[in-house]
Amino acid sequence: MFEEASEVFDNMFKSSFPLTFIVFIPAVLILVSPLPAEAAHEFTVYRMQQYDLQGQPYGTRNAILNTEARTVEAEVLSRRCVIMRLVDFSYERYQKALRQSAGAVVIILPKNMSTMPQDIVQQFMELEPEMLATETIVPVYFALEDDELLSIYTQTLTSSSSQGSSSAAEVLIHTATANGFQMVTSGAQSKAVSDWSITSLEGRLAGTGGEDLPTIVLVAHYDSFGVAPWLSYGADSNGSGVSMLLELARLFSRLYTYKRTHAGYNLLFFVSGGGKFNYQGTKRWLEDNLDHTDSSLLQDNVAFVLCLDTLGNGDSLHLHVSKPPKEGTPQYALLKELETVVSSQYPEVKFSMVHKKINLADDTLAWEHERFGIRRLPAFTLSHLNSHREAQRSSIMDVRPHVDLRKLSRNTKLIAEALARVIYNLTEKGAPGDLQIFTEQMVQEEQLSSVVDWLTAQPRAAQLVDKDSSVVSTLEYHLGRYLKDVRRHYVKADKRDPEFVFYDQLKQTMNAYRVKPAIFDLLLAVCIAAYLGVIYLAIQVCINSTWFPSMSP
Amino acid sequence: MTLFHFGNCFALAYFPYFITYKCSGLSEYNAFWRCVQAGATYLFVQLCKMLFLATFFPTWEGGAGVYDFVGEFMKATVDLADLLGLHLVMSRNAGKGEYKIMVAAMGWATAELVMSRCIPLWVGARGIEFDWKYIQMSFDSNISLVHYIAMAAVVWMFTRYDLPKSFRLPVTVLLGLCVYKAFLMECLDCTAKAILTFYCFNTFM
Repeated sequence: MFEEASEVFDNMFKSSFPLTFIVFIPAVLILVSPLPAEAAHEFTVYRMQQYDLQGQPYGTRNAILNTEARTVEAEVLSRRCVIMRLVDFSYERYQKALRQSAGAVVIILPKNMSTMPQDIVQQFMELEPEMLATETIVPVYFALEDDELLSIYTQTLTSSSSQGSSSAAEVLIHTATANGFQMVTSGAQSKAVSDWSITSLEGRLAGTGGEDLPTIVLVAHYDSFGVAPWLSYGADSNGSGVSMLLELARLFSRLYTYKRTHAGYNLLFFVSGGGKFNYQGTKRWLEDNLDHTDSSLLQDNVAFVLCLDTLGNGDSLHLHVSKPPKEGTPQYALLKELETVVSSQYPEVKFSMVHKKINLADDTLAWEHERFGIRRLPAFTLSHLNSHREAQRSSIMDVRPHVDLRKLSRNTKLIAEALARVIYNLTEKGAPGDLQIFTEQMVQEEQLSSVVDWLTAQPRAAQLVDKDSSVVSTLEYHLGRYLKDVRRHYVKADKRDPEFVFYDQLKQTMNAYRVKPAIFDLLLAVCIAAYLGVIYLAIQVCINSTWFPSMSP
Repeated sequence: MTLFHFGNCFALAYFPYFITYKCSGLSEYNAFWRCVQAGATYLFVQLCKMLFLATFFPTWEGGAGVYDFVGEFMKATVDLADLLGLHLVMSRNAGKGEYKIMVAAMGWATAELVMSRCIPLWVGARGIEFDWKYIQMSFDSNISLVHYIAMAAVVWMFTRYDLPKSFRLPVTVLLGLCVYKAFLMECLDCTAKAILTFYCFNTFM
């Protein structure tokens, strides 16, 4: 017997392939592969912005979610959670979901944005302000994709697109095997955060040579903006501006250490918060310095204010002004020096002045220099962007790869040279245009790189950076290494008529539970009733037969 | 998934017991309290087994893939206490053989149902998440009812002095199977896996 069995096995192993498959593959499948259990999946979701600016509400108003998941292709979307992937995202679909009174929208973003094709990224960047401008009652969440989430999405897609299709039998089978998902968030309803203070930092380098020296103010806002606060890393806008400001602070503090190079200008550096929310930090700082203090550098002789905004890429530089500078003023000198430096040392850069009048009727101001312009201080903003309405100033797609380090360091050197020429009055003294004050090694690219890397490692939305945040304290430390009198400045919204109101519940944990439709329960009840009936009959048959004669009633 | 689902699972688990109780005529004999006593004996036996296992068997530290045959064999041997418990219940009940078997098995199985399945069903089947394992658990309790009836019958047969000699060996074998069932399944599983990996290794090398 055993020889025959072994012969059969030998034949199986050596020759007939189908027989081996029939015998072995099911055994392999049964014994070796465990079924993957698809239980609840927990993942972090980031909510869309919710804030009030000057009384006007923006963004989504709701945070709680406990609805069944569907994709856009499904017929019935009302009170369901609509899941979309970034590749399939379009404004029409988003509007369609909102029009059909969906319960919520969840947009799945890829883990690595750089894998996305450029046109999708660009399209999404342009849609972000539109999504925020319309006030939505339903919660809108963003989630980063992983394998489980992708499988949940594909399952929901297949069940959504096959709805309303087939015969009754198919529907029955479908209900037994379908996998619906219930999306539930664990947090509470969102409410306004009271007493949120926006922090700004200032520091100075005092000039030499008497009282009443002219002051040059260098400003950059450090916060970032995007459609979801926890996902806004703001690499170019304005991580590049802050890193450039720190590098300029370092360079000029080195120059000011030596008596020979100590110039007759005060340098005031200001890292402002709340920049993306209509420059709240700058506004309050100006009010405090001009209205509430007796003596401040800003009240006396201000030569000009230079705001740095989005300088990490591109081959053009635009100097945005609200009033073209008059001849003979220090602003005009800076403008001329910038043109000189660009034309003689960096011919690949296209430099131009952009004149835009301050429009007080607009909801928000365009550039940071307009805040200074309103207070009659001469100011301009340098940026590689042509218009303040560019989508990449306020997008979650603005991540570290958007900053080109060589261009950032080239721009830093350019601006440093122009400032030095103004401060030391070099053109009047006859220095040629291509005189390089700062040599190659002075502008440290590693320093710039590490600052940009650190800034883009965490989201810096104004709602997330409070006064104890590590961003603020690290910036304070850095400024303290180069500047004197480093001070913090806090802005809190006015109690009765707040300029800005932030809301909480911006990051949640969402659970996706596998659920079965209600029909399934009924089906199951019917099946169980049938099974119990069969058992009852079977037992009755057993009892009434000759097996247990003494126990039958 | 919902309370309805919990109701489904509970019905699937509990109703066969109810049907068996009613139809086997135990209700005629006022056997309810005797079944409860059998259940109490079950609890006591499980408690003793747990204490014994915890005291005398250290946690086995070894590789994850290797199966501790000797240790698991010893642990399975402790399940002999189950048989002793059933025998104790049956000997305390006077009456016909079938009556004793049914009382012992019903009480034992119901106690096991209440102790080991009610709480997971209550907690799990009522949640939002749906899982097939609750239906499986309920169905499993049906199977264990039949299993305990068979076990009680075999124990009773083993203790009968008028059992024909030819039946002794099969009855002993069946008793052994009852006790070592889980252990034997694990062994088969392990050996089958070993054979398969060996075969695959040979085929691809």
